[in-house]
Amino acid sequence: MNKQDYRDMWVYIEHEGGAVHPVSLELCCEIRKIADAAGEKLCAVLVGDLPEEELDRIRACGVDRLLRVRGEGLLPFSVDAYTALFTALCEKYRPTAVFVGGTIRGRDFAPRFACRLPTGCTSDATELVYDPKSGDIEFIEPAVGGKMMAVITVPVMRPQVGTIRPGTFKYLPAGPRPCETVEERFDFPPEKIRTAVLGFEPEENDESLNIADAPVIVCVGNAVKADALPKYRALAARLGGKLACTRPVFDRGLLPFKLVIGQSGAVVKPRLLLSFGVSGAVNHVTGITDSEKIVAINKDPDAAIFHYCDYGIVGDMDEVCEAMLAQLGEKV
Amino acid sequence: MLNILVCVKQVPDVNLVRIDPETGSLIRKGVPAILNPHDANALEAAVRLRERCGGTVSCITMGPDQAEEALRECLAAGADRAVLLSDRAFANADTLATSYVIVTAAKLLGRYDLIFCGKESLDGATGQMASQLAERFDASQLSCVREILALDEEARTVTVTRELEHGVETARAALPCLMTVEKSGFHPRIPNLKSWKASRKAEILRFDSRSIPGLDPAQIGDPGSPTKVPRTYPPPVGEPGRMLSEGSVGKTVETLFTLLGDVL
Repeated sequence: MNKQDYRDMWVYIEHEGGAVHPVSLELCCEIRKIADAAGEKLCAVLVGDLPEEELDRIRACGVDRLLRVRGEGLLPFSVDAYTALFTALCEKYRPTAVFVGGTIRGRDFAPRFACRLPTGCTSDATELVYDPKSGDIEFIEPAVGGKMMAVITVPVMRPQVGTIRPGTFKYLPAGPRPCETVEERFDFPPEKIRTAVLGFEPEENDESLNIADAPVIVCVGNAVKADALPKYRALAARLGGKLACTRPVFDRGLLPFKLVIGQSGAVVKPRLLLSFGVSGAVNHVTGITDSEKIVAINKDPDAAIFHYCDYGIVGDMDEVCEAMLAQLGEKV
Repeated sequence: MLNILVCVKQVPDVNLVRIDPETGSLIRKGVPAILNPHDANALEAAVRLRERCGGTVSCITMGPDQAEEALRECLAAGADRAVLLSDRAFANADTLATSYVIVTAAKLLGRYDLIFCGKESLDGATGQMASQLAERFDASQLSCVREILALDEEARTVTVTRELEHGVETARAALPCLMTVEKSGFHPRIPNLKSWKASRKAEILRFDSRSIPGLDPAQIGDPGSPTKVPRTYPPPVGEPGRMLSEGSVGKTVETLFTLLGDVL
């Protein structure tokens, strides 16, 4: 394989109901910078149709080329069709890199077409760096439960495939550039699609589970005792905010996944985050760094979370929570 | 007769892993190795399906000799047979090389109607194995399965519900099908003493790179892995925040609230 034969960086545009998934736009914005560093073009790969204003939002991210694919058997999404499609597109156009949003859908098909090509696939990078010496992209990601950072590269094979979680990169459009549209036809025999969707039950929209836009968040970590949850809920309510948690709290079955802050959960940006009994693993911290003020309470003075907070209190989380409620005039 | 395969991994308990601050590498010494928690859920789903429909559940893993312990755990929790793929030549494999070895070996032992695996491992956590195993088995693929509603052996289909980002999907897939399951629906059982004792004595099938016919040395271990890890380093930490301590918890909170002022 000659790396020089490969050019352009691709972003897969995921869309549903006529709207682009935010992660696809975040990726276009971030990959614009990497493509500039590498002297490559940024190409958005769109399967099916979108309203013109949605296409403009994609172009506004500084996309040089829109590769529009139409054909039989491509909609609705299936792993079988998209694996075949991306294998064929990569073989024909030879991109240096393909980025796919780390949604359930993206995480299902991206590693699969990477295996079929075959080439290297990485997931969940939180930082991307172009290395001009090697011409490779460094995918930097938290590893081993966030205890270390690992630099992953695909030094020999092309394309370099990566899935990136929603919210990892910021949506900061660089502005439109001259953008050409390339039409591509690809048909996938519908009888080769081995999965069928029989029904879909949208979950009820429970506003208390929407933490992404909450002005105040009380976040509990793995140190929380199950029977102490009501007082944290009360504190959140008293401050006009919402209760949230770290991944291990969800794993213990105490709170729903929608309340998890971090790389695999929600990215939050409250004006105040009160963090109780949270150790401060990077996987969680990546979800809180946009908070205006962070207060951390932990009984371990060496907890990593104290390096990310504005104010820290070493102490028993329940006692501090009760003192806060008392201070706010709530009966404990 | 249903032939079910579960792909598992033994992982270090990452909660107990420490990082050498000098080298940035893992200190694995003294850290217990456990069956990857998500794999226990996958096994539970497989065993429940066998209890409902009959058949055989095989478990397979690639790893060092001590990974045998994870397989014995699987046998105790209901697996019928266990396969260990162990060879120094398999070391430093990424998901592409690992899926190649597992599928090449598994195909020697039979054809599978259903394949289960955990959604991600505690240590690597790429979550890529399911897709790449499915690709190499040429199986249909269902992730995030909450419940297995029906298995139609005549039509060779399986019907499930899946927990997606914004709701629950009902989906049907053709066999062979590879699926990953959600934890909530498949809490692993606690083995009873009898099955635990039997698992201690059970025979474990072993293969190394030479005993898997047709295994391409270029596709295994480090040479077969397109992704590399040139370096690791400790996560960057910022300056510590201002630590508050005013003698009593009440006083400390009072000071904090004054400092927060309008933000509160």
